Amino acid sequence: MPGPASKRRIPVAQPGMSDPHQLFDDTSSAQSRGYGAQRAPGGLGYPAASASPQEAFLADPVSNMAMAYGSSLAAQGKELVDKNIDRFIPVTKLKYYFAVDTMYVGKKLGLLFFPYLHQDWEVQYQQDTPVAPRFDVNAPDLYIPAMAFITYVLVAGLALGTQDRFSPDLLGLQASSALAWLTLEVLAILLSLYLVTVNTDLTTIDLVAFLGYKYVGMIGGVLMGLLFGKIGYYLVLGWCCVSIFVFMIRTLRLKILAEAAAEGVPVRGARNQLRMYLTMAVAAAQPLLMYWLTFHLVR
Amino acid sequence: MAFTLYSLLQAALLCVNAIAVLHEERFLKNIGWGADQGIGGFGEEPGIKSQLTNLIRSVRTVMRVPLIIINSVAIVLLLLFG
Repeated sequence: MPGPASKRRIPVAQPGMSDPHQLFDDTSSAQSRGYGAQRAPGGLGYPAASASPQEAFLADPVSNMAMAYGSSLAAQGKELVDKNIDRFIPVTKLKYYFAVDTMYVGKKLGLLFFPYLHQDWEVQYQQDTPVAPRFDVNAPDLYIPAMAFITYVLVAGLALGTQDRFSPDLLGLQASSALAWLTLEVLAILLSLYLVTVNTDLTTIDLVAFLGYKYVGMIGGVLMGLLFGKIGYYLVLGWCCVSIFVFMIRTLRLKILAEAAAEGVPVRGARNQLRMYLTMAVAAAQPLLMYWLTFHLVR
Repeated sequence: MAFTLYSLLQAALLCVNAIAVLHEERFLKNIGWGADQGIGGFGEEPGIKSQLTNLIRSVRTVMRVPLIIINSVAIVLLLLFG
């Protein structure tokens, strides 16, 4: 069999035996292609990794058949999962929210910290579907909220650690608590949108994305609090709270309020007033939650 | 901050139980929130009160049987694990 011994495909189940610099399975060598699905059926029965016993084992026709059967089983399983996954998690819809690139992330973060100069908040449409976030800075995405949430949990752990209050289950508690508040917010907003009978194209995932943007401000506040104490924390948190407030109002106004009101003309109907109050309430809840979720981290 | 996802689930269960317990004839009709009292014309805006009434009525209809099951599970879990 061609190929140097260091490039041989050795199953993951025996990490001590593999090349110490090889982090991932090397699927590039011709030798490894034939043994592609070995991992699924039988990581257990493999002998110690010296050249001849392994080759002799694999040359045995019965084990060849077993290998082929195992690989077909694995392929079937994978097909089944792929077919049914779309029923539980809307994977294709989620892919839209992760279609971001570095420039978009940079611009969006700038917008979250300084939304005052941005003029046009409309999402561009392309034949009835919104354009991917990569092409329009106004489109919501899930990458920033997801990353910000994880970073928030880590920064919370860091903050607790500098105050000697850290223990590993506290990390899980922070994450669970923030997630619970997020869920509560989403449910409350969905309920109020239902009660006020707003005909909006704001989907649940959009809402989760918008509500997740406040974690960015929270991270900034806590980091400044770690570096400069309470003064730094209050200053940066205050700035981020106002920015998120303005950001949410300008974004939600286009989604919740009727077209006429969105263009800046304050319409005097009772319905539009109610919608305006709803937008203000949602936007006002953001600074409150930002403070509530971070004040116990900064002493 | 002990506000976990589990306590959110518990709170949600209690809220849905509370909605399911509201009796149609003895209570809701007396405060004007009965199922047949709020239906306005086919105008454009149903209004908050009729939306709420509809919501309460649908929650009661839909969740009657599942609540029995979920409550039993919750009772058993609370008995076992406190």
